Order: sequence, then C-alpha cells, then structure tokens
Amino acid sequence: MRKEVDARGRACPEPVMLTKKALEEADEITVIVDNSTAGENVRRFAASRKCMVRVEHRDGVSRLFITKPLHGGETTGSPDQTVMGAPHQAASGPMVLVIASDRMGRGNDELGAVLMRSFIHTLGEADQRPDTMLFFNTGVKLTVQGSEVLDDLLALCNRGVRMLVCGTCLDYLDLKDRLAVGQVSNMYDITETMLGAGKVIRI
Amino acid sequence: MKSFEYCVALFDSVSSTLLAEKLLKKAEILHKVIPVPRHISSDCGVCIRFSPDLRGRVEQALTGRVEYREICAL
Repeated sequence: MRKEVDARGRACPEPVMLTKKALEEADEITVIVDNSTAGENVRRFAASRKCMVRVEHRDGVSRLFITKPLHGGETTGSPDQTVMGAPHQAASGPMVLVIASDRMGRGNDELGAVLMRSFIHTLGEADQRPDTMLFFNTGVKLTVQGSEVLDDLLALCNRGVRMLVCGTCLDYLDLKDRLAVGQVSNMYDITETMLGAGKVIRI
Repeated sequence: MKSFEYCVALFDSVSSTLLAEKLLKKAEILHKVIPVPRHISSDCGVCIRFSPDLRGRVEQALTGRVEYREICAL
C-alpha cells in the first residue's frame, strides 16, 4: 500500500523524520516537499536505506516516489541501528574529518584562522584524503563564497571528498545563500556519518 | 633557465606574515598563505606564496612596510 507524506512547510529535519516513520509502516511511499534542501535530504536518506527513488518536480513542489528494496535492505538488525550506521563496520569504515570551527585550535582567533588555512591547504596536497568532511558551527564559514580556503575545498571535492555542511548552522549564520562547496546536510547525516566512520578526526 | 612554479616570501614571525598578507590584499596582488614548505624549513611556520611574475609587485608592496627574510623561487 502506498503511503503519502506531505512534508510541505516542514522545517529540517522533519521531512526526513516523517519519511523514516512512513518507511517503517509502508513499502512504497510518496513524500511531498516544497524546498530543494528537504527534497535532497529525503532522497539521500532513502538512498542510504537502499530504496529506489524517483523524483518529480512541478510548480515548486517535489514528489519523491520511494520504494523499499525487495529484500528488506535493512541488513543490520533494527531500523534504528541502520539509520545510525552499522557499528561493526567501524574499524574499517571511512575516514571522517570534522571541522567544527573556522579556527584551528582554541586560544587566539587570528592565529587559529591562519592555522586552519594552512591545514586545509596541506590537506589538499596530502596523499591521504578523508572520505567525508563534516562542517558545523562556525566551520561552515569555510564553505561559503569569499572563504579563503574555498579553492582548496573545491579541489578536495573534485577529488572525491564528500562534504556535508550543517544546514542549521548556515541558517543561523545567515549564510545559506552563499554555500559554494559541499551539500547542505542535517544532523541525521552528520550523526550517521560519524557513527559509521572507521576514524573520526576532529579539528 | 629553469622556470619556477611559485615564489614564497618568508618572514621571521607569524604576525609579520599576516601584516604582509594585509598589504598584498590592499595592493590586490593574488597570493596565498601556506605552511612553509618542509624542504625550506622544518619549523611550523607560514609563508606567502605567489606567482613568480608577481615578484616585483610583491617586493614593492612589502619593502619598507614589513620585514621579510627572503623570497625563494620554488
């Protein structure tokens, strides 16, 4: 039976929560959203659950037709465990780099800003790369237009580093329109990425 | 003659580097603050990298305003 979720007007992360709930109750659902961030978050959530997703855009509204995989797809116990990533994979999982501030270290802000620029530059030149970079709190400032490290981040992004940027933080700092690298993300993705990581490095 | 990819300006302190950066920004000279390359110095410093063809302008912008140790071509 197809279940319909109308998430129009709902603020992040509600559309994802509603989607998660609906997927527990039905194998096929339709989610209606009215902004691209919500649509993208729902799409990614569904994809992470190995669901098939088809998207239709019309009149500023997106409809996501989501179908659960035939074999359940949820291979690791209860649904909640799946959402938070599979703990047993942790030792060999992806490397996650957490940028929780636009400064490196605490103490002197001017120095911290220089160190962060140095760090991101060096990261771009290093042989080893993180699989995912998470940006939150003032760390999101690094990902917007005018950021001194934007070129380095774009280069990392082009080399396959996934970048998730906290939407709440962009919103709070009034930077949502200026995001220049990475994708707007939410606490579900951030938590899931951290718990599913083999290694988390926090700057 | 070997052509160099970059030049870096080296300073005696981080604060001089930052002052130099402000001067270069003001003069609208394209540059980037980077860690001092390992083969130049092993201490944890920062320097300013720029394209060799900007060398004259960089020297002009910095001379007399901030002390720099040297400019190396890499």
